[in-house]
Amino acid sequence: MIIEIALLCGLVLFSAAAIVFRDLLKAAICLAVASLLLGIIFFRMKAPYIGAFEISVVAGLITVLFITTIALTKTGGDVRESKAASWIFPLFFIVFLVLDFFVMRGLMGKIPALEATPEQGTFGEVLWKMRTFDLVGQIGIIFAGVLAVLALFRKRDKDE
Amino acid sequence: MVFLFVALPLVVAGILPLVGKISKKVLPDLLANSVFVVLLALVFFEARSLAGQDAAIEQLFWLGEPLNIRLMLDGFSLFMLFAVSLVGFAISLFSIDYMDHYGSKANFYALFLVMTAGMNGLLLVTDLFQIYIFLEVAAVASYALVAFGLGHDELEASFKYLMLSAVASAFLLAGIVIIFGVTGGLDFETVSQGLQTLDSRYLVGFCAAFFILGFGLKAALVPFHAWLPDAHPSAPAPISAALSGLLIKVSGVYALARVFLNVFGLTPALSTVLMYLGIISMVIAALLALGQTDIKRMLAYSSISQVGYIVLGIGLGTPLGILGGLFHLFNHALAKSLLFLNSGSLQMSTGTRNLDEMGGLGKRMPVTAGTTLIGSLSIAGVPPLNGFWSKLIIIVALVQAKQWAFAVIAVLVSVLTLWYYLIIQRKAFFGKLNERWSDVREAPFWMTASTVLLGLLCIATGIFFAATVNSWIRPAADSLVKGVQTMLGSLGF
Repeated sequence: MIIEIALLCGLVLFSAAAIVFRDLLKAAICLAVASLLLGIIFFRMKAPYIGAFEISVVAGLITVLFITTIALTKTGGDVRESKAASWIFPLFFIVFLVLDFFVMRGLMGKIPALEATPEQGTFGEVLWKMRTFDLVGQIGIIFAGVLAVLALFRKRDKDE
Repeated sequence: MVFLFVALPLVVAGILPLVGKISKKVLPDLLANSVFVVLLALVFFEARSLAGQDAAIEQLFWLGEPLNIRLMLDGFSLFMLFAVSLVGFAISLFSIDYMDHYGSKANFYALFLVMTAGMNGLLLVTDLFQIYIFLEVAAVASYALVAFGLGHDELEASFKYLMLSAVASAFLLAGIVIIFGVTGGLDFETVSQGLQTLDSRYLVGFCAAFFILGFGLKAALVPFHAWLPDAHPSAPAPISAALSGLLIKVSGVYALARVFLNVFGLTPALSTVLMYLGIISMVIAALLALGQTDIKRMLAYSSISQVGYIVLGIGLGTPLGILGGLFHLFNHALAKSLLFLNSGSLQMSTGTRNLDEMGGLGKRMPVTAGTTLIGSLSIAGVPPLNGFWSKLIIIVALVQAKQWAFAVIAVLVSVLTLWYYLIIQRKAFFGKLNERWSDVREAPFWMTASTVLLGLLCIATGIFFAATVNSWIRPAADSLVKGVQTMLGSLGF
């Protein structure tokens, strides 16, 4: 239990640090560490597939993409940011933590343990047989993502 | 056949970028418009086969094996599919001429079709998690469409929209996770059964708050509206029309109504919250619209205000209130799409969206002026146009339910609406023609054809409102009035 609490605290702290840091590289690394901790939590909660996805895709692949993008972009002129941004987030974060603590304490006893459902089975069975329509939706999301990249990184033709 | 509502736009979206390599304009135009004609024909076909039934479930098979794809078609989803296909067709017709100067037309149509597939999927699903997935399909496509012009404003608006939409999705996902945790299922029937037997009003209230926040952000209800006045004006005009006319209604109002009326069941507390959200949106957005000089921004605020009417009607929860809300949804989809398309015609002809710089354009653009007048009067609720009947039904429903204060405010906001639409008319079309616009010409053929079609539909729906209500709106309202019973047992799960 102590390890779980330590992992959760680490997850919250690194996630908050990713937002607070102004240096994008540090923020990307904090996010990667947060994802790594989340992946470990998934493993410990007996969800190895999602843990593996979280660590390989979010902590690995996406971090590589972030760092590559940061390396390829140049620092432009200083963007003026409202000073309110530096205290609004920490304030909101603390208020959220306090509220979250009280709400979750009230809810913990009331959420029953999940009963056996027809949607149990191996990961593959659930994905391919139980949630088939989700896959159609995921194809739609991938389509939308690919088309968005094609549309937003297009070069204008000479005749247009 | 019902699966075609999702599969057809997705498949055509997949081949459109390839078609775009062969033909830059004609084939993409033809393909995209054909898809909407087929979807419209499918709606009428399904309406015939659904006649007399409350709902139908389509179970898909693959090589004789049943797939776990079950799609539900009832009066409410059929009505929404009709609205999406009809308005989608008008938008796609308008894009033939309008999108020429943006370039990459095939990609534009492909994204628009993915957005349509996402909306259609959301209208047919029977599962909370699938609502989330198809909401994201439509949303991801719409982020790219808002930024399609690639200008600074477009990219900034798209980013703002993406950020707030991500917050909405996070709240929805959190709500879905808790519901799954307490009911052990995700499909509507299991969840509504589970919630009825669950002895924890506190927990259900907590989830309801998450859903209101999520769907409220998607529907841009005040105070969750900050993204809409930036995103909708920045997008190309056909997409502004699709976002305001369709997307906020499907991913906001439809999903909200489906979840709260058919799955959670509308409690008095929930009804009160929805009615207050509706009335606050109506009033604040109407007041904000008054001060705008950018025509598209004014129309965007007007969308928030009119969605307020729809949520007020549905939130009231009486059969007449729901009927009025849904009828207003349809009428607003027609009229607001028309107005956004016309704002695109104005912007294309004059190069500006600033109402103060326009003036006297009615003489140069008579069709655009005429159809804008029809759309404006319709939304403002002037008889005999369609918007009048839907607002009248909502107000009568409020009076019947003895909600006098809400009824009076609804009438007053209608007056405010007429006021800011008259400002558009006066500043853009009436008065002396500004010399700058002496060479301005009417919009090209397909753009005017599309707006004339929508204008005629506004008039026809107003004149034949009884037929429209009986054939499309009443079956939709009945599905919602039956509440959770629609999901429990009556569908033959």
